[in-house]
Amino acid sequence: MTTVHPETLKRRSMLYRKLATEGARFERTDDGAAPASYANANEVACARKMGIADLTTLPRIGFKGKDTPAWLVQHGVKLPGGPNQACLQQDATLVVRLSNDEHLLLDDVEFSGGLVARLASLWAFESDRLCYKLLREHSHFWLLLVGEYASAMLAKVCGVDMQPKQFPFGCVAQTSVARNNAIVVRSLLGTTPAFHLLADSASAEYLWFCLLDAMQEFNGGAVGLEALRALARESNSR
Amino acid sequence: MSVEERLPAPAGLLLDRSKKISFRFQDKQYEAWQGDSIASALAASGQWILSRSFKYHRPRGILSMAGQDANALVQLPSDPNTLADVTPVSDQLAVVAQNFKGSLEHDKHAWIGRFSRFMPAGFYYKAFFRPKGVWEKIWAPIIRSRAGLGVVDTNYTSGYFDKQYAFTDVAVIGAGPAGLSAALAAANGGASVLLVDENRLLGGSLTYARLAGAADAAARHREQLVSAVGAHANITVMCESMCNGWFTDNWLAVIKGSRLYKVRAKEVIVCSGSMEQPAIFRNNDLPGIMLGSAAQRLIKWYAVRPGRQAVVLTGNSHGYGVALDLLDAGVRVAAVVDMRAEPTADALSRAIADRGVRIITGSAIYEAVPDASKNHVVAVEVRGISARGRCADHGERIPCDLVCMSPGYTPAYQLICHAGGRVAYDDATSMFTLEGLPQHMHMAGSVTGMYVHESVCAEGRYAGRAALQSLGLSTEDIEPAPVRGLSDRVNFDWPIFAHPAGKEFVDFDEDLQIHDIIVSTLDGYEDIQLVKRYTTVGMGPSQGRHSALATARIVADATGRTVAETGVTTARPPFAPERIAHNAGRSFYPERHSAMHHRHLEAGAQMLIAGAWLRPAFYGEKGQRDQCMAREALNVRQNVGLVDVSTLGGIEVRGPDAAELLQRIYTFRFAKQAVGRCRYAVMANEQGVVIDDGVACRLHEQLYYVTATTGGVDRVYQSMLRWNAQWRLNVDIANVTSTWCGVNIAGPKSREVLRRLCTDVDLSSQAFPYMGVQEGHVAEIPARIMRVGFVGELGYEIHVPQHYGEYLWDRLMEVGVEYGIQPFGIEAQRLLRLEKGHIIIGQDTDAMSFPAEVNLDWAVAKEKPFFVGNRAIQEVNTRGLTRKLAGFVIEDANAPCPQESHLVLDGDRMTGRVTSCYVSPTLGKTIGMAFVAPEQAQPGSTVTIKSTNGRLVEAKIVKLPFYDPDNKRQEM
Amino acid sequence: MKLMRCPLNGWRNISEFTYGGEVESMPNPVTDASDVWAEYLFFHQNPAGLVHEWWCHTATSYWFIAERNTVTDEIIKTYPTSELFQKRVDFSQEEST
Repeated sequence: MTTVHPETLKRRSMLYRKLATEGARFERTDDGAAPASYANANEVACARKMGIADLTTLPRIGFKGKDTPAWLVQHGVKLPGGPNQACLQQDATLVVRLSNDEHLLLDDVEFSGGLVARLASLWAFESDRLCYKLLREHSHFWLLLVGEYASAMLAKVCGVDMQPKQFPFGCVAQTSVARNNAIVVRSLLGTTPAFHLLADSASAEYLWFCLLDAMQEFNGGAVGLEALRALARESNSR
Repeated sequence: MSVEERLPAPAGLLLDRSKKISFRFQDKQYEAWQGDSIASALAASGQWILSRSFKYHRPRGILSMAGQDANALVQLPSDPNTLADVTPVSDQLAVVAQNFKGSLEHDKHAWIGRFSRFMPAGFYYKAFFRPKGVWEKIWAPIIRSRAGLGVVDTNYTSGYFDKQYAFTDVAVIGAGPAGLSAALAAANGGASVLLVDENRLLGGSLTYARLAGAADAAARHREQLVSAVGAHANITVMCESMCNGWFTDNWLAVIKGSRLYKVRAKEVIVCSGSMEQPAIFRNNDLPGIMLGSAAQRLIKWYAVRPGRQAVVLTGNSHGYGVALDLLDAGVRVAAVVDMRAEPTADALSRAIADRGVRIITGSAIYEAVPDASKNHVVAVEVRGISARGRCADHGERIPCDLVCMSPGYTPAYQLICHAGGRVAYDDATSMFTLEGLPQHMHMAGSVTGMYVHESVCAEGRYAGRAALQSLGLSTEDIEPAPVRGLSDRVNFDWPIFAHPAGKEFVDFDEDLQIHDIIVSTLDGYEDIQLVKRYTTVGMGPSQGRHSALATARIVADATGRTVAETGVTTARPPFAPERIAHNAGRSFYPERHSAMHHRHLEAGAQMLIAGAWLRPAFYGEKGQRDQCMAREALNVRQNVGLVDVSTLGGIEVRGPDAAELLQRIYTFRFAKQAVGRCRYAVMANEQGVVIDDGVACRLHEQLYYVTATTGGVDRVYQSMLRWNAQWRLNVDIANVTSTWCGVNIAGPKSREVLRRLCTDVDLSSQAFPYMGVQEGHVAEIPARIMRVGFVGELGYEIHVPQHYGEYLWDRLMEVGVEYGIQPFGIEAQRLLRLEKGHIIIGQDTDAMSFPAEVNLDWAVAKEKPFFVGNRAIQEVNTRGLTRKLAGFVIEDANAPCPQESHLVLDGDRMTGRVTSCYVSPTLGKTIGMAFVAPEQAQPGSTVTIKSTNGRLVEAKIVKLPFYDPDNKRQEM
Repeated sequence: MKLMRCPLNGWRNISEFTYGGEVESMPNPVTDASDVWAEYLFFHQNPAGLVHEWWCHTATSYWFIAERNTVTDEIIKTYPTSELFQKRVDFSQEEST
């Protein structure tokens, strides 16, 4: 994997300086860079307990408007049953339904999906069709909180019960995290519980700081895509 | 007594006798076992005085051993008011006593007690009023030096305090026999249970109290319940955790260590127990006099023998249990004084009789006798009770160094009161009842007045099952709740014995005696709430835990009412003192950064807080604001400047009715706006007040991109959604503020700079005129380019997707070098726009400004059928202006520059205020805008501004804008 | 802290919501008299008892209606605005430029 520096690229996560201070080595994603690893021998072990990964430069997209569900279905997307639910597509893209009319699509850490890119190229502004593209890859930064303590950590910054029993795979909460609006999606990395957390890009540095503070007691730390992929491949029977 | 001389196990449940530690109290070194509390270790070494009392500086020692009284407050190096009776001692801890002068044993202020009659109830209240000034000059300095609690360490640095949510089906507060039984019943039914207890050990009274039967009966019951709870997967136990308050919908504040848990429970079961009360007699506060349960805790928890010879004063059978425990611990019991005339015999009292202890019935302690140093009890005067609260004229003096009081209990009703429950009292039985619990709250155990062990456990199980039913986890009929019997009558009706010489303490915290309470009623304060405020009873650190019932009884007696009629004062959160740090938690404040934030810092920007945003105010040294601002502004006028406008709000309105929605939301016309054009958009509220402005860019027949102010966008977005929820227009509205970031490149050379990076848009004035909008690419990044001119020069606003922001900034700065590009901050931007006469909503408008007042009537479409605020605007327009925003210049170069909100005068009359004012480097004079009276608003007229230090400054009203009135520069 | 059920997001702490005032119907901008408008704009009923209120779930900017008892502070029910506002509203169409 070639190493790149985020400042040589156009698209930059607002966190790249912080990640670099943590010792990140970056890999290329589309027109940006994401942390591949942190030169930490225990990174996978850390991710199993409590890891935080910046996925901001990974592919994702949103669609909104009352004709959105029909348009997505027309293009072969399987929709979650209702608002605040998420479901996986065949290609591992996660479709998150934020309201009746609004959907968010997240690529996976292997970039195996391609659905995001396909829909982005299929979509064009059309009169009288209320299905509009949202640049979710810009409006929101994207973190993955992973590990057995992730829900306990979230209980320190969020008032919604995210214990495994109450908030299983596919649950979505749009709520306040550390006094900041955020979308939290319960996910799974292989067999390790994980949460996608997306929030307003301008708050990236603030929330990163709050979350690292909250995960201190669990010895949490930043992890890279390589560790996430290692976990994702673990006895993934789904 | 060295630590080795403690009582043998099983006494000393809390001690780890493998670890000996040592600590200091005052200037002496003491030994302790790991697990000792400060007070237990001191008591074991014969140090009974812990503090001096608040007002009279009387020596005070152990009272409750349960953290319920102020006697036990001591000073740790950086923590005043620490409860010595429950705080574990740690190795090398340095403890000092509080509130004394000289030595703890010989307090130089103890003389104050002899003058207590000069400081009656209402003393503070009266001293505040008369004679005038006496409080400030005389009383306050004296009292402040003598009264008070610990010393605040002003160099204290707070530790790491944080908060956490916890979620559970059932929260059980209190892990005594009722709580343990309730937790088990609920957990067995499949509920998740959080069991909270303030103590280190589970078991509540089973850890120290005496049950009938074998000496270890309580221990065996406890063992059974605790091991079942420990083994249950559904139960989470939180010990050493204080549930400090109940809030709406079962939100419980639980403090454990340095963390505040915000517990959300579907059902709450309060098993908080009850608090043993002191009896009231002369010198009842002497060290050596304590609650019966305190003596039991000393023995069972800490293996400390609480004295050598004891007298037990009781009004129930529990006192006999205390006496048995004392005997087992090797204390001689000189007598059990039972206030009841004819106590019913039971297992405990028979056991006492069997062991040859003298039982004196129908009698009370009339007075406790101190030793020569007045520091410890040496005897009690026991007299027969002749009538309620009255003793016979003569009695018997019994020597003792320990007095145990067991006159009865009050329920720990605080949490239930927080939830709106009420406390009722029955004068006939002296029993309490709690009523009016909200839905989803249950209670069990002695808080309900249940004291017989078997009934307590049964009631716990009942409450657990009731919670299950409420959760929908059980539909079975449940056995009825147990009812209270004769054996649950544990309160002696009147354990209050006035003495002609006083010093019968009702409230130990505030040194209040029986007389003080009565004086309050004589002064006309008969309501219990007024008595509390007049006398300060119950207002000290122990918050009436030991004084509420006694006060109610005394007030009832003094006012000829029943105790039930008198009532007790209300309990509010917090139950126990809590630290501000607990409430503060991590204290993070959301902070928003633009994509170019770090570039501003690297360029030496001084950042300014705008809402949650950090924005560059100017680039340069902190003290150089004026120079930096002038330099940046001139560079925009002469060359080209770059300002970060990412904080600007952005909303997209899309769909067939997009134009119609804008027509209704904004005051201006939009229906016929051409694609590729921008229009200024003013938003009013329904009252006609200008609340926001922006630029509406029509990118497509069915797509508007509307900007909004940094602080206003969220409100604008919510307001659009709310209106359209009512109108149901066929549009979709999205807040895209964080999708786009942006810069404004402004100045005569801005086109040349932009041309270097933008090749797919024709930037010529003909193809891309002022107020045009184009989509294209800048530095190969997709961009929305608007030709708008807030600062009054040729300029472009470039909006690009957020994560390209830093790259865009870098490229513009890079190619701009040869054109003299410099970044400019908010201060320069504000100055430049003032020169151009543009207003800032919220700065040059206020909550009453309607469009005509701020010269925006041109932006209000008169012929539209409707827009938000139209009716109110029409209405105010017919009434004529009462003020007007006008531009002014100050010609006098020596006059101070007025500040925002400086007054505009017309003679003696205030007619307005300055809203913006700067020294303009471009124009070489001070310019500003101000609200003035309509008749003052004519260009050429002169107004007076009351400037800094009241200096009156002449200002000339001029026509706006100050700069480039023909708009030649921005339309270049 | 009080809980409220958002029709879109479910039960949440009340701190996640923004209060939007009572549901009141707007007078006709053309035909209703000034005093009717003044009453609407500047006076509120604030009754003791059942009220219908606008509430917004802040994180999602989702508006809904709550029925609340102002005496007991009980929230009786919450429901989507579409239950209350079922038809498109139009104002008299005069051509504008």
